[in-house]
Amino acid sequence: MKLRDIAHMVLEKVSSKVQSAQVVASWEESTPVSFEADKLKAIKTSRTVSIGLKVIVEGRLGESHVTDPEDVDALVEKALEATKFGREVNYTFPKEEPPDVKLYDGAVVEVPTERLVESCREMLELVKDYNPDITVYAYASKGVGESHVANTSGLDFGDEGTGYYLGVHGELVREGDILMAGYGRGWRRAEIDPSEVAGRAIEKFRMAERVVEVRSGRMPVLFTPEGLEVLLLSLKLGLNGKNVLLGSSPLSGKLGERIADPRFSLTDSGVEDYRPSSGHYDADGVPKGRTVLVEEGVLRNFLYDLDTATKAGRRPTGNTACSPNNWLISAGNTPNDEILRDLREGVVVYDVLGLGQGNPISGEFSVNLALGYKVEDGEVVGRVKNTMLAGNVYEALMRISAVGSSPEWTTGSLCAPPVLVDGLYVVSKEGT
Amino acid sequence: MRERLEDALKYGKADYVEVRLEELEATTVAFKGKEIDTLSASKAKGGIARAMVRGGWGMAVFNDLKELSDAVRRACELAGLVGSEEASLAEVEPVQEVTRAELRGRDFRGVPLDEKVRTAKEYNDIMLGHHPKIETTETRYWDSFRRVWYINSEGTYIEDERPDISIYMTAIAREGDKVQKVTERAISHGGFETVEGLQERAERAARRSVELLSAPPVRGGVYTVVLDPRLAGVFAHEAFGHLSEADFVYENPRLKELLVLGRRFGVEEVSIVDDGTIPGLYGTIKYDDEGVPARKTYLLREGVLVGRLHNRETSAKMGEPLTGNARAQGYSSEPIVRMTNTYIEPGEVRFEDMLSGIKLGVYAIDMVGGQTMMEMFTFSAGWGYMIRDGRIEELVRDVVLTGNLFETLKNVEAVGDDLRWDHGHCGKGGQTAPVSTGSPHIRIRNVVVGGRR
Repeated sequence: MKLRDIAHMVLEKVSSKVQSAQVVASWEESTPVSFEADKLKAIKTSRTVSIGLKVIVEGRLGESHVTDPEDVDALVEKALEATKFGREVNYTFPKEEPPDVKLYDGAVVEVPTERLVESCREMLELVKDYNPDITVYAYASKGVGESHVANTSGLDFGDEGTGYYLGVHGELVREGDILMAGYGRGWRRAEIDPSEVAGRAIEKFRMAERVVEVRSGRMPVLFTPEGLEVLLLSLKLGLNGKNVLLGSSPLSGKLGERIADPRFSLTDSGVEDYRPSSGHYDADGVPKGRTVLVEEGVLRNFLYDLDTATKAGRRPTGNTACSPNNWLISAGNTPNDEILRDLREGVVVYDVLGLGQGNPISGEFSVNLALGYKVEDGEVVGRVKNTMLAGNVYEALMRISAVGSSPEWTTGSLCAPPVLVDGLYVVSKEGT
Repeated sequence: MRERLEDALKYGKADYVEVRLEELEATTVAFKGKEIDTLSASKAKGGIARAMVRGGWGMAVFNDLKELSDAVRRACELAGLVGSEEASLAEVEPVQEVTRAELRGRDFRGVPLDEKVRTAKEYNDIMLGHHPKIETTETRYWDSFRRVWYINSEGTYIEDERPDISIYMTAIAREGDKVQKVTERAISHGGFETVEGLQERAERAARRSVELLSAPPVRGGVYTVVLDPRLAGVFAHEAFGHLSEADFVYENPRLKELLVLGRRFGVEEVSIVDDGTIPGLYGTIKYDDEGVPARKTYLLREGVLVGRLHNRETSAKMGEPLTGNARAQGYSSEPIVRMTNTYIEPGEVRFEDMLSGIKLGVYAIDMVGGQTMMEMFTFSAGWGYMIRDGRIEELVRDVVLTGNLFETLKNVEAVGDDLRWDHGHCGKGGQTAPVSTGSPHIRIRNVVVGGRR
């Protein structure tokens, strides 16, 4: 059965019983290949189906999901039942034109499984060439899917998308010291260069050849695009329109105020071609777009889904559950390598442990440097271990002292340059 | 279903083939603030076929049960592309077993939706009404009932039912820019009684979140730390449990050397056990997802590494006994090596005695999470108290502890006599598994506590 037919069948069953309804039918096929401990270990194929329904009856919302088109009667019944107690809402599912964004690359579908295997092998061999003692894990995956969204306002839209991923990581074990590092890239096109991915991973191992000590105290911290998640996790919660409406976000009531150094600008975008979190519509049928969140340090907007926007008297921004699409941090004016060169003493952050465990909405963080390096006189001198990094995201944003001029896409949905923050707390066992 | 599965296996040409099918029904009721946020129901069916050819694995996941035979065939084909060595799976006695969930309490499938909503709402309202500084709340009720069919090419056939029910009650207090969040939860494989009578727990979450607003963050540094049983259980799980999972180790010669059985990792007072057979706990299983019976496994006995958790492949490759720890999150996932119920065996030290002699330390309580990366681990307490001259003093927040496998267990100074269990979910490789963790109070010296000075 075609997705469009399933969607229409469901709508037909509910339309006379509801104020508004929206159904999304989709399927997805993916093929992940994995190398474990230097050899090809497993190939998996996965073909999954999902049918989701949202209905509004007497101003209340109910939702249900099934995986089998033969269960659509249960789908309808459960969604209708849920409306008896569901969230009070004051909207109907919209019908708007889709934005212009590319999500599908036919070349992905053509990639044979053997090429995924070969790409993994290439990454593995490059890492082994650098250091045969590293135990290597490599992953490659391709995916394709279709979806069809239809609602009682007349939205009737079929979509297709692809995904492609290459990643490699390694373990280097020495007595009393285990180092794990890696790199990955994912987007919707088949073009990812295995040698570049491997090169990034190798660079991390190279910088970690020496383990060095760092003193405890306040010092500048350079966040690489990958490491920026430390700051962005709290912002994701703080800029979430629902948290703002409920008052749990520290940014509630601060629109138009300065919340960061003027060098910091942040935009949410669901319409970057071929990026993972791009799409035509969010889960409520609102077109995705671009939303400036922070402009030269000033708070400009929050992320809103349809329901929250209605309740807050704002425009919906095309963000399902008020969560981010892709985030873009604007280029600054310091060349990336100059930031490092001008650093007399500091720490570079790639990866941390324990993020989000504490109280991320408050902005407080206290994380273990899983992969971080010490900088002395403008050069990375080695890896630091058993070291914690602590601070408050909202204070850190005010203390940004440099933003790199060349942003780049990380593994997922972030495009950012490196960002230097002055005076974060570093706590180390050795260096007290 | 059994005949269909047996029939499907005939399409498999491999050294080993298995199929796991599931049917699942679930309900979610979530409040955010005063309002209900999500009310949704779902129903899913699906399966995974997994085949091994010459040591290589092929897998096929599907929702449409009509694809069952085809999935078996595809899994075998893919495995054929992968394999390059000799197949090795530890021997296990085939079993034939059909089990049904025994819900001694109220079967939540029979509880009307409005009662589920009312129950969640009551706790949510308690938290909201506790204090003007409670800015908002999140209360999430979730139940699911899974039926699982498992068959493999060696003659094992298992039917199983897995009920799951939980409620998370989160109070968020705010004062100016300060926001504090405290969660209480109840979780089990039992019936609706799991989520009944939790009014005091809801009250406690709210009270604690307000108290934490006026607590200072702990001053970062190196301390002697007393962990409460809940946090200590997470510590055992994070700091040692994960490194005992053989899939980390079995094909990495250097790690094998480092984690060789017989090596001392901790002081004599410390023994850590994984036991999937203890009735009533959240990590308890009769068989794992490869049809291997659960059992009790000592990981650390008197400080010495004596055992490891295995699936059939790691057991065979390392020549160590099977432990029944191959577990899968659901039908779209392959089983990976997981803990079940992991705990530190109680010692003899009374809590009062544990505090004495600590000039400056931290009493770390409750937990909000933990994470391991090989030798390094980090775990976060819900809150803590400073210990001064053997006495518990002021409340502190943002207590995050970090340590290193090779050092921390050797720094354990005292193991309490008061074992307590806690239940939750553990994440690994993109899958979560129900687990229990247990421990008495323990005291550790030289722990790095993150925080601002």
